[in-house]
Amino acid sequence: MTFRIGIRLKLLFLSLFLFAIPWLGYQYVWELESYLRVGQEQTLVGTARAVATALHERPTLFNKQASYLTDVKPGTDLYAHQIIDPIQLDGRLQDWFDYRHLAVHYDAKYLLDDVANYRAEDLNFTHMIGIYGDYLYAYFEVHDDYIKMRPRNNLRIDLNDHLYIALTTPEGEFKRYIVANYQPGWLNTYELTDNLESNRPQKPEPRIQGHWRNHIPGRDNSGSGYNIEIRIPLNMLADNIAFAIVDVDENIDQGAPNNSALENQILRIGTANPNQPDSLGTLLVPSPEIEKIIKGLQYSGARIWVLDKHRRVMARSGDILQSTGMNTTLRDNTASDPQWWQNGWQYIEQEWLLPLYYKILTKPPSEFIDELQDAYALEGKDIESALTGKPDALWRLTPDNKAVILSATHPIWIDGTVMGAVVVEQTTHGIRTLRNKALEKLFNVILAVMFSGTIVLFLFASRMSFRIRNLRNQTEAAIDHNGKIIGNIPLSKTQDEIGDLSRTFHNVLGKLSQYHYYLENMASRLSHELRTPVAIVKSSMENLAMQPQSETSQAYVNRAQEGIARLSQILNKMSEASRLENALQSTDTETFNLHELLQGCLLGYQLAYPENHFDLQSDYPKATLKGSPDLFVQMLDKITANATEFSPKEETINFKLQQQANQLILRIINVGAPLPSDMQHQLFDSMVSVRKEAHSTAPHLGIGLYIAKIIAEYHQGKISIDNYSAKDGRASGVEVRIIFPIH
Amino acid sequence: MSKRIALIEDDPAIRENYTAALQRQGYTVLSFADRPSAESAFSQRLPDLAIIDIGLQNEIDGGFALCQQLRGLSKTLPIIFFTARDNDFDTICGLRMGADDYLTKDISLPHLIARIAALFRRSELLLTPEHQEDIVQQGKLRMDSNRMTVNWQEQPIELTVTEFWMLHAIAKYAGHVKSRQQLMDESRMVVDDTTITSHIKRIRKKFMQLDPEFDSIETVYGMGYRWKRSV
Repeated sequence: MTFRIGIRLKLLFLSLFLFAIPWLGYQYVWELESYLRVGQEQTLVGTARAVATALHERPTLFNKQASYLTDVKPGTDLYAHQIIDPIQLDGRLQDWFDYRHLAVHYDAKYLLDDVANYRAEDLNFTHMIGIYGDYLYAYFEVHDDYIKMRPRNNLRIDLNDHLYIALTTPEGEFKRYIVANYQPGWLNTYELTDNLESNRPQKPEPRIQGHWRNHIPGRDNSGSGYNIEIRIPLNMLADNIAFAIVDVDENIDQGAPNNSALENQILRIGTANPNQPDSLGTLLVPSPEIEKIIKGLQYSGARIWVLDKHRRVMARSGDILQSTGMNTTLRDNTASDPQWWQNGWQYIEQEWLLPLYYKILTKPPSEFIDELQDAYALEGKDIESALTGKPDALWRLTPDNKAVILSATHPIWIDGTVMGAVVVEQTTHGIRTLRNKALEKLFNVILAVMFSGTIVLFLFASRMSFRIRNLRNQTEAAIDHNGKIIGNIPLSKTQDEIGDLSRTFHNVLGKLSQYHYYLENMASRLSHELRTPVAIVKSSMENLAMQPQSETSQAYVNRAQEGIARLSQILNKMSEASRLENALQSTDTETFNLHELLQGCLLGYQLAYPENHFDLQSDYPKATLKGSPDLFVQMLDKITANATEFSPKEETINFKLQQQANQLILRIINVGAPLPSDMQHQLFDSMVSVRKEAHSTAPHLGIGLYIAKIIAEYHQGKISIDNYSAKDGRASGVEVRIIFPIH
Repeated sequence: MSKRIALIEDDPAIRENYTAALQRQGYTVLSFADRPSAESAFSQRLPDLAIIDIGLQNEIDGGFALCQQLRGLSKTLPIIFFTARDNDFDTICGLRMGADDYLTKDISLPHLIARIAALFRRSELLLTPEHQEDIVQQGKLRMDSNRMTVNWQEQPIELTVTEFWMLHAIAKYAGHVKSRQQLMDESRMVVDDTTITSHIKRIRKKFMQLDPEFDSIETVYGMGYRWKRSV
């Protein structure tokens, strides 16, 4: 049996096209998403423009110095970062840990004086400043192979390692400070005199506070150095500042007393030269003015930056994690008292569907790496573009590829020049959430459609194939294996093609069975029709025979009478089968002993056919059958007549009665010529004969076996005829086998 | 006074042939082609014997109707159905109508004449004493071959001519098996085995209506029938 593809399977396969629906839906939603993105971009550019509008032509908002510089020098022009958590002034640097990457390392590049034999281990430091509250915080992580604290008895504060600070006050004064400690601990800060040539302290400056902590060096003096943590109130300074670390090492070679600067080696590394007011670096403190303006925008659902033209952040507000761009909270449309099915649906959705969907979809992460968390200078094509005066927008991925951030920029104009830019940022989370929600709904619908569609198609196909199979079975059941029509298929009432087919089969079978009936009754009707003309001829001949005839005409009359007698015999035989069928309808059944019947028959046959021997082998003497013994004998007569006719003289005709399972098998075997192979199944049909014409002393119409079959079937038997070869292969012949069920 | 035989047959050739043959035997033959003409004639005067074809022109069962009418007019009038229809159903129907014999048209003329003669003899001899040589006595069975009367346990049994001759052939020599061929010859007809079996079955039934215990006609499988010797 080869593998078949049934209608059901085909339709199921066709229903795979339903899977195109989610793809289409997905495409559609994707299109929608790109529209939304464009929309968001426009909105964001609009927001940037609006924010910029509030900042145009307001020079006061910008640092006088920093923002007007034509260029900035990193490390010299300082940027105060916004510190998130309070800084504890203890000389330990854990508080700064999150901002370490923003610190600047100061080494040979930042030497303030020309030094011939500078070695990195002599002095280098890491430094950064930040803003928290109203203070400017700074730390210095100084690596110094030799720490020289301020001696207790020394009035000078510059003959030891110290921190030099120079700044301009908001009033425009130039002030200098030195931090010099006797010992690690709270800072001692001194304001210097206004004489720029002198480093003499004028008075302590308590507002500048902090902590000095020495490192614990390793055995080989590695890691030697100190930390300084410091804060300066913001109201002390404007926007110029310089820090310098001054490393004073004693000249050990000369062994001179350490009270003169000359005998000391002094190394100065700093952000800028603190001795000249005009050499200070700029300090960019995120502008509180702008902050205020922008603070009002923190509800805009975006993160907003204001940059100066050096791309340094002057102000920022909002949180990128909250800036999802769209309000995606769905209306809470659940009724006050949800129905059970709503609960059930929710459960199914939450437990089954959504996990499945989110195997494909991605939820916008609530956490992602924001590289601009602490940025003090922004970069990007859009910012470049804005700083040249063109608003722009940019999509970018976060470094962890988890989120897409859209930024829109707009220049800030002052007096026709670009003084800065507004950067507005949002993630696309809103759109993605919206898209996900849309897709969830879409998937729900699609799943429902696909599921129900497949089910419906499957049911439909099953129904169809069931009906077609049913029709096939009915059609098969309507004819037996010989092709004889034994019934008809029930008339279908369905008004479709299968129903039509069924009705057509019904009609065809009906017509065919009528035709079969016509053919089967042909013989008897023919004989019936011929009987009258035969009777005419017969009676005429008999009348003629009764009259005196001449010798010649008497011969003719005799011949005619012989012929007509034969014709009459033929007609009798032709209607024999239909007469038998008639008789069967009115036959009463009785139970008879088959074994005894066979014995009796064989005795009779021995008398009737003395030229043959008859032998009965029965291992079942109690075998009984229900039916008509007379008819049964008729059947045996027909079979035996055939057997003797085809059997050579003196050969034995064997009757064998056997029992197998719940069947009685009667075999009648005669030695002789085998059957032509193609005729075996037709021999039991009416009017089929394989006799050679040479045998035709009596008319043979092939009715005998047909009658045998009718009688066998009346006894619920199955009759078959086949070629037979003995086990020893010596004799071959023909075997008639009749199988009766035992009840 | 020759016997008057009514022949009702729609086929003119057969009608003429049989008329001629019967007339040659010295019978007066009244032939009719259809039922109405026959009925009107019978209402005038009854024949001594009627030979009726069942299918009469456009009436499929015209012969049966005619038979019923005749039986209504006379209980003893011999009636022979003479038809091309040889199936069991029609045979049983015809005999139920009260016909004395049911013959198919392929019966030869001499056989037909023999039967007609037997029927006439029966009606004639009913009133005359029996001759011992015509009597067959087998236990409870008593047959008079001349008068064609059958008695079982002193009760008369109505048999058709065919059945009488068959039974006579079987019962004449009790214990002897008569093959079907022999029975055919005795009852002067050419039929097939099924017809013989049907006849035997009908004979048995007629006896069993009178005596449910009747089992004297034995089937000898493969050979034929025999009359069981009464013990």
